[in-house]
Amino acid sequence: MNRSNQSRRSILPGLAVLGLLAGLCVASPAFAWLVNPVTPVAHEVRGLFYKAVAVTSFFFLLAELLLLVAVLRFRAKPGVPAATFHENVRLEIVWTAIPALAMVILSGPAFTTLKSMETVPQSDLTVEVVGHQWFWEYRYPKYGVIFANEPLVIPVGKIVAVDVTSIDVVHSWFVADFGVKMDANPGRINHTWFQVEKPGVYGGQCAELCGVLHGQMLITVNAVSPEEFERWIEQKKKGA
Amino acid sequence: MEAGTLAGSQPIAHGHRAAKPRTGILKYLLTTDHKLIGVMYLWLSFTFFAIGGIFALLIRSQLAAPGLHVLPPEVYNQIMSMHGTFMIFFFTIPIMAGLSNYVVPIQIGARDMAFPRVNAVSFWLLVPAGLLMLTSLLLHGGSAAAGWTSYPPLTDRQYSPGPGVDLWILGLHLAGASSILGGINFVVTIFNLRAPGMTMFKMPMFCWAVLITQSIILVATPVLAGALTMLLTDRMFGTSFFHPAAGGDPVLWQHLFWFYSHPAVYIMVLPGMGMISQVLPAFSDKRLFGYKGMVLATAGIGVIGFMVWGHHMFSTGMSPGLRRFFSFASMVIAVPTGIKIWSWLATIWGGSIRFRTPMLYGVGFISLFIIGGITGVWLALVPFDVQVHDTYFVVAHLHYVLFGGSLMSIFAGFYYWFPKISGRMYNEAWGKVHFWLVFIGMNLTFMPMHIMGMLGMPRRIYTYKPEYAIWNHISSAGAAILGVAMLIFAINVLLSLWRGRRAPEDPWDHAEHNKTLEWTTSSPPPAENFARIPIIR
Repeated sequence: MNRSNQSRRSILPGLAVLGLLAGLCVASPAFAWLVNPVTPVAHEVRGLFYKAVAVTSFFFLLAELLLLVAVLRFRAKPGVPAATFHENVRLEIVWTAIPALAMVILSGPAFTTLKSMETVPQSDLTVEVVGHQWFWEYRYPKYGVIFANEPLVIPVGKIVAVDVTSIDVVHSWFVADFGVKMDANPGRINHTWFQVEKPGVYGGQCAELCGVLHGQMLITVNAVSPEEFERWIEQKKKGA
Repeated sequence: MEAGTLAGSQPIAHGHRAAKPRTGILKYLLTTDHKLIGVMYLWLSFTFFAIGGIFALLIRSQLAAPGLHVLPPEVYNQIMSMHGTFMIFFFTIPIMAGLSNYVVPIQIGARDMAFPRVNAVSFWLLVPAGLLMLTSLLLHGGSAAAGWTSYPPLTDRQYSPGPGVDLWILGLHLAGASSILGGINFVVTIFNLRAPGMTMFKMPMFCWAVLITQSIILVATPVLAGALTMLLTDRMFGTSFFHPAAGGDPVLWQHLFWFYSHPAVYIMVLPGMGMISQVLPAFSDKRLFGYKGMVLATAGIGVIGFMVWGHHMFSTGMSPGLRRFFSFASMVIAVPTGIKIWSWLATIWGGSIRFRTPMLYGVGFISLFIIGGITGVWLALVPFDVQVHDTYFVVAHLHYVLFGGSLMSIFAGFYYWFPKISGRMYNEAWGKVHFWLVFIGMNLTFMPMHIMGMLGMPRRIYTYKPEYAIWNHISSAGAAILGVAMLIFAINVLLSLWRGRRAPEDPWDHAEHNKTLEWTTSSPPPAENFARIPIIR
């Protein structure tokens, strides 16, 4: 009785610390894209991430806990011989079947999210993204606007289809808050899409090593209201 | 055939035995003894480890704060590429081969490897291979600088005109040839040179792990050799395997490269798992739990390991069907890996655990490898992978697998067999200090990288946006701790070799059921290992 009380008392602060750490992790700016996704896909990716954490943390905590208990409890003591068991088919079937089942369950939301990532809806605007060593070229074929080395400007709330390619080596167009990363392969055109929910300035950068200045191949996306976008594109057209 | 004569119980039937034993440098240069070759592998791999480690410290110095100028960008890319290349091809793979070389023939009760001269060739190929890599750093244009993955077109002549990439290709060709020859040697040795009565399912788990690893090498490494040759002819002779303008496709390289390089992860991890399966029972005085399940799980990892390479390419624009296949296969591989984790936990459960340095590394291995395994499952989920692919999250994941997994197991195995190999004990207290510094430093270095990656910091960049600064400060501090830890390790090993206490036959007092054959001969074992080939009941 006494003993179990004692052990319960010693476990409680440990749990509290763990909970606090978990809370800090989720609340901290570290998880920015998890807290502030700005596209439907990014929302879904966050949801998928939470589900993955939920399913896998069961196995993670169980395994680490068993390890910790074993290390604390089974330290060699004089006169206490080691146990002799070394197989248990039923146990082995259980620890094969349950994780396998968990993987099947987890693949459900993963494939659903994948579907929405891959299915480009009827788009309001198409932007062509071309990677160069070491800058991005953006084209708006509908408006005949082409420029490079400037922020991409897109209208909030509209569905933007993105065609990605490269003129030289492999690059990758990556904006974390959008849940978008697409390789820019020379000789191929890849398709992706996003629909930004909030106006703002979003940062990203090239995610595939592309040479000396790979680290400075930044991306800036200005998400503006549709009206402001129209004004901007008109001005761009005149400028060109 | 030979197997019969070697496995016979007559005392000694080898040609070299009658000759006077060589001394001095010739003893090493001309040897075909698997133990001497194993020792040379260890020296060479640890030398390359030191080089790769210095590269790592340079990387972490450059990234200690945003906007530093420790290394110019072009040099940073070379150092980063060479760090990966050295740690994978010139440290982890060879040191596994080295420990396997030393231990496997003794554990199966053989006098040597099946092809002792080929064994020497395997080792000596690595010396020029490493030298080619190192000298490329000094040449005009520097070494290869496109990461250890060397994706074309960046590695085409147009974008990498210097000789660095050519030397990288040739160096890997030599290292690959060394691996392939070793693979043939190990597989033949394990199938044919087992002592009488040593049936396959009586073999120690480590021998199974080596057999499966070397079989993976035999299937995977020739594919790398083919891809390297294609890249070389693209650069040198105007072919267009990977040139889009002439009908080639750079993504083809990624498929071929990862067809080798994902199984290569298992080449680097499975032998370590074999070592862990020796160390945990030895220091908890229990039998390995679920031996046959472990063998099956290892074989399963070996087979499924060939069906998951596409998870390195989810953002290349791969077809939806393939994405789903590779995604699910990558999740499935967590199951046999899980079987191993649970079996190890059941192995130490109820044991009588002695926390010597190898055991600390064994326990450290489990605790860290679980983390790498869990993030591996997350990365198998395509949408999450796309989010963090080519960011520091992947760098964190791969280091929990290759540092937390491979390196921790290498240290476990190295401390475990050090008395057997050198005939001397290492200093236990400093061994433990080494462990704790590595364990703390490792987590400080790599845990924050998960967060950097989720924030969107790409890998392989020479400097970064200020918002990632705090996590990089922590990571670089951890790397400094690791540097100190490895220095302590080196000093401990050298001093112990010089004046360590003499090691008895079995310094770990194995329980009878855990006593594999290497603990029944002297430390170090005599030439040809056994006065008489043991007969296993």
